Amino acid sequence: METDQLSVSIWRGGDGGAYQTYQVPRLESQTVLDVVTYIQREIDPSLSYRFACRVGVCGSCAMTVNGKARWTCRTHVSRVAENGALTLNPLRNLPVVKDLVVDMAVFFDKWEKAMGAFVGDKTRDQALAAVSPSDPKRKEASAGIECIGCGICYATCDVVDWNKDYLGPAAMNRSWTLINDERDVARIPRLQAIAGDNGCLGCHSQQGCVERCPKSLNPTGAIAGLKRHTMKAALKGELT
Amino acid sequence: MTHEFEQNQTDLLILGAGGAGLFAALHASSQAPELDITIAVKGLLGKCGCTRMVQGGYNAAMAVDDSIERHFMDTIEGGKWLNNQDLAWTLVNEAPRRIRELENELGCFFDRNPDGTLHQKAFAGQTFDRTVHKGDLTGIEIINRLSEQVWKRGINRLEDHRAVELIKARDGSGLAGVLMMDMRTGSFRLVQAKAVLLATGGGPTMYKYHTPSGDKSCDGMAMALRAGLPLRDMEMVQFHPTGLIAGPGTRITGTIIEEGLRGYGGHLLGGDKQRFMSRYDERAERATRDIVSRAMYSEMRNGNIGPNGGLYITMKHLDSREVRSRFKGMVERCHDCGFDLVGGDVEVVPTAHYMMGGVEFGADCQTEMSGLFAAGEDTGGVHGANRLGGNGVANSTVFGGIAGDAMAKWVPTAGVFREPDLDAAQAAIAATLYPFRIDGGHMPDIREKLYDVMWEDAGILRDAESLARAKGSVDDLHSELMRTGIADTGKAYNLSWHDWLNMESQILISKVIIEAAIAREDSRGAHFREDFPKIRDLENSHYTRITLRDGALNLSTQAVDFNRIKPGETLLDA
Repeated sequence: METDQLSVSIWRGGDGGAYQTYQVPRLESQTVLDVVTYIQREIDPSLSYRFACRVGVCGSCAMTVNGKARWTCRTHVSRVAENGALTLNPLRNLPVVKDLVVDMAVFFDKWEKAMGAFVGDKTRDQALAAVSPSDPKRKEASAGIECIGCGICYATCDVVDWNKDYLGPAAMNRSWTLINDERDVARIPRLQAIAGDNGCLGCHSQQGCVERCPKSLNPTGAIAGLKRHTMKAALKGELT
Repeated sequence: MTHEFEQNQTDLLILGAGGAGLFAALHASSQAPELDITIAVKGLLGKCGCTRMVQGGYNAAMAVDDSIERHFMDTIEGGKWLNNQDLAWTLVNEAPRRIRELENELGCFFDRNPDGTLHQKAFAGQTFDRTVHKGDLTGIEIINRLSEQVWKRGINRLEDHRAVELIKARDGSGLAGVLMMDMRTGSFRLVQAKAVLLATGGGPTMYKYHTPSGDKSCDGMAMALRAGLPLRDMEMVQFHPTGLIAGPGTRITGTIIEEGLRGYGGHLLGGDKQRFMSRYDERAERATRDIVSRAMYSEMRNGNIGPNGGLYITMKHLDSREVRSRFKGMVERCHDCGFDLVGGDVEVVPTAHYMMGGVEFGADCQTEMSGLFAAGEDTGGVHGANRLGGNGVANSTVFGGIAGDAMAKWVPTAGVFREPDLDAAQAAIAATLYPFRIDGGHMPDIREKLYDVMWEDAGILRDAESLARAKGSVDDLHSELMRTGIADTGKAYNLSWHDWLNMESQILISKVIIEAAIAREDSRGAHFREDFPKIRDLENSHYTRITLRDGALNLSTQAVDFNRIKPGETLLDA
């Protein structure tokens, strides 16, 4: 049943914090981001949260909503409220700055460690590569390319929780798109970067990342691809 | 009272991490790897600004039958001859090279034709299909690829850092650095730099309905103005015809419903659920952005509105499967927020989208202050009176790259750590802490009032009377802001404090927009005066130029230098 009030419990103040509960009027068009905005503007100006684009493009506003990591700018309250209540926490697996705001530096650092940056051998003075959009490798790369780096998969992943050095789903999803990018020339160093237990072998295929990705990407599938490629490369002696 | 602050040094400080800031960082580090480069951003690197939000694409004359001259003419015609022609020429010349750099060196992959060649699509106001894109999410592809290259190169990052004030040298020789606030702690740091790039993005977020990301509040323009730099073309604010409207209680209000829907055959309906566009233009819904926005505003003013005060866009007369597949991203976005774009009527409203005006700068991105460079939406002159869709991301990336190259060249020969005016830094800190010393007031009221004033009196349709009213209202709002305080619940990540500071920038820049709009007594591009509805005296085109001196805005007009081409001429062969 929809009620005209929403009861919102928010974790305040990091490790030594506590839940604080607010009553927020229900509106017809209301996202979880709108709820925290209302609280900060009208009830408790000290509440901290992060957002930027408002439309699911930047991945700044993710948090834990009723136990699940979600982007909040495009999460309609009517789809997630349980008995007229919401419980909000910061994203898991990332250090908390304050309230619902996390520091994502480690997430970006791992993207870099997984060699998530393109390495080409052509310059701005050369023509673009001719690449057919129907080429199977290109299709595989394109399937994973629309990641917005919101960190939802990273926060959901239990392996990240157990092993702080595990690169995580988003970073390796990017590596996989590059392995399939025929213009990239760093295949072997990239496979070396993601091999081992902190890389693709750490994945237990629990698929939390797949279930939670707001862009419907498949990082588990990408990591499985990396496993196959590292194994083949290792057998050929390319990774030593 | 003396305030404490940290002091740091970096050779090159970049403010902003959109297309302009990231490109500047990459170019500077390639050109001069020995330089210590720092990039500062109000949120997280790669997640702020509007380059990331680009849907349409990137204009570049790359096809065999297209030409630089043709892109130039489209840009000048679109800009109603107000552009700085050297800037526009630089834009169109560099754009193809920047696309090749994005693909070949940085790893972007733009859409291809079935034969593997680059796909370039049609976009409004252009005589050739030259818009390079990645589906309807071009910006994500560009910013993701730029960000990961910046992470890789060990460029220093100051995330969650707000630029507070440009701090000049004590001897008056130029810029010494920037006073920053670490938003995570609320503490201040003066970052001394040999060169600084202003690339914070503009963003007309003072309008009731607006598209830009929430971090944008015209801070860069406000700092430049306070530092004595001139802003040009500030009356030129572009409105996009279709933004979502779902009431004041949701941040989704104002965000874009893409242009392609109208191109594909979408209908606009009034509150009475009848089409109206053919009464305004024979192209009906397919007329240009400015015409559609004005028609919609007229309908709204006549009271032909829906429950939230907007009009409707509908696709329901079209093949639903086709709509779903062609506009997947937009259909999903609407669905997530509770609207049915395929089978329903979605309430929409014109929405403030882009500022053509900004800091005056040269084609090498230097400003008139030694040590300060500028690029992207903080600058004015590239687009003139109107920006073509697809020229925005071209602008930020082209001039961002140029700025990086220029600063890398300038710093080793002319750059020094100037001794900062510490009194100015102290004064800026005191001004920033000001709201904590005030009791009372209610910030959200001021925001809503500013939204209304700018929308109703300085928006899509303006006249002398409405602008005079707007001027008085915004002055009053400034006074009200100065009587409105923030409870000191701690300075760490205090969003309410930042709301106040954002509002201060937005109010200052609103005043500039109004002042420039009062001065321009003709209608061209994005600026429409109901009391002067015609474009006037094209051959003697002047642009507005505003500076701040002793707390007062000074306006002058400058003749446009038609140094490459005059109205009536063309660079194209007949």
